[in-house]
Amino acid sequence: MAHLARTLPRRALPTQLTPYLRRAQALSTITIQPTPQRTRPTPTPTPNQPKTPLAQLRTYHSTLHPRLPDHEYTNSQTAILTAALDHVPAHGFTSTALTLGARDAGFLDVSVQLLPRGEFDLILFWLASRRGLLRGKVEEGGLFRRIAAEKGKDVYELGVEERVRGLLLERLRMNDEVRHVWQDALAQMSLLSNIPLSLTELHALASDILTLSGDASVDAAWYTRRLAVSAIYASSEVVMTRDPTPDLSETAAFVERRFEDRQAIADKFTGLGQCASFGWNTAVGLGRSWGLKI
Amino acid sequence: MSSRSAWRALHYSAKRRAFQPPTPYRCFSCTTRAQSKPEDERMTHFGFTNVPESEKETRVGAVFSSVAASYDRMNDLMSLGIHRLWKDHFVRSLNPGSCLPALTADQRGWNILDIAGGTGDIAFRMLDHATNINHDMETRVTISDINADMLAEGRKRSLDTPYYNTNRLSFVEANAEHMPHIPDASVDLYTVVFGIRNFTDKQAALNEAFRVLKPGGVFACMEFSKVDNPVLDGIYKRWNFSAIPLIGQVVAGDRDSYQYLVESIERFPSQEEFRGMIQKAGFMIPGQGFENLTGGIAAIHKGIKPIVKA
Repeated sequence: MAHLARTLPRRALPTQLTPYLRRAQALSTITIQPTPQRTRPTPTPTPNQPKTPLAQLRTYHSTLHPRLPDHEYTNSQTAILTAALDHVPAHGFTSTALTLGARDAGFLDVSVQLLPRGEFDLILFWLASRRGLLRGKVEEGGLFRRIAAEKGKDVYELGVEERVRGLLLERLRMNDEVRHVWQDALAQMSLLSNIPLSLTELHALASDILTLSGDASVDAAWYTRRLAVSAIYASSEVVMTRDPTPDLSETAAFVERRFEDRQAIADKFTGLGQCASFGWNTAVGLGRSWGLKI
Repeated sequence: MSSRSAWRALHYSAKRRAFQPPTPYRCFSCTTRAQSKPEDERMTHFGFTNVPESEKETRVGAVFSSVAASYDRMNDLMSLGIHRLWKDHFVRSLNPGSCLPALTADQRGWNILDIAGGTGDIAFRMLDHATNINHDMETRVTISDINADMLAEGRKRSLDTPYYNTNRLSFVEANAEHMPHIPDASVDLYTVVFGIRNFTDKQAALNEAFRVLKPGGVFACMEFSKVDNPVLDGIYKRWNFSAIPLIGQVVAGDRDSYQYLVESIERFPSQEEFRGMIQKAGFMIPGQGFENLTGGIAAIHKGIKPIVKA
């Protein structure tokens, strides 16, 4: 059965869905596949309309559309930023790193004018490119197999929750090399003018993590889960900057506790909901027994 | 006042030239017709009036010759001092001078070309920024202006700066549309602040900027632009057309020059149009391409010359 499931694109295979899909495959050979003809033309920016990084053209995930690029920097900007990232561990997310990157990419010192936001562009590029790397790791298939092997499970036995936790930790580990300068980056991101773009990027990461983990919620849980993942990620980042352990075990433990908290809060809310509905039903029953027309 | 009479003389001679006899003078034995102006000459705007392209340069020259002495005082009065903030912001955002040690001779100091910077407003600010903020003693500025009177004003002011008579500051009288004395790919930063509005052929100047800049070099321009807020725009227009010519008349004794100034501001293309012109010259546009100052009264435009990979 597992080999049948493996023939499907993995992204269309959230864990809860696999039993149903397997059953469907056993009944008929029709496979659910995205039809390429139905792709809507994606709106392309006109040359008059300059591109801004992270400008969202489409604000939803769809397996029927090609994926949006992780960032919208031009080739020259990407060249400077990529070269500048090599200098980040030594110089931090500073204009010095940018200038050195521009020199490495064959540009002049003055060419950092290509990046109107300066250091913040470097931080945004770091975030967006790491997000792309995370997606790449999942799509080539190795990441979930490794997470499953660590837990001694088969990759298809991994629940959504475990996948989310694994991806979140993996994303945090990517920040390991810039851990000592990350507080500066967080400070930059929390400047008033930078907050909107920082939050957009945080949402994009949370959304990516959940989509890659196979979360298929379409109700209010869509919002609460993204909120929860964003909150856990943002707080873990702060903890990570003060984590003295070389393998980030303190951060991992922190993430573990936050997920437990999340579960506890979710249980509380479910309990409250049950209690309220029980109370309501009792009240209605009581009223009816008194002869009220409810 | 001699400059003022020169301006008047120009003004009247232009009027006289427009007069045409009812029957054309046809005489094969003299060259009167050959001397008269060709009728199909290309026209350009000079404020709200149209003038032949060949004439705009002299007219603009006359305007700026007449305002050179009172330039700074008038700028302060007209912009209520805000022009200083704009210029400081412009220079700070460009961050001239390299704070890192140079690895090659090419990286030693920036070569800045300040076009239409006759009085040295921008040049001195850039040299100060490079020296005091980035501790770069190598960055040099060439001030280029078409107008000898403005350059003389700048030379006079440079006496009070530490850059007088050093190789970090030089003055050139040149037309920005054609600068054969500046070799190709030799300039790091090309700036033109409140100047490009007065050029006869703006696209030619942009093409020339593209030629002289090194690959990766930056074209930066600050110019009056279009206000996007209609309320502010109303106030701004009223100030422009009522107050500024009056201030010019009272303080500088020259109403017509300042009437030209506000008319030329009105005729300058919008932020988007000018960005299109910069792109047309071959520059890359970073991000949105322009930054509005004080609601769009002025705007900073930037373009970067792309690197051609061999």
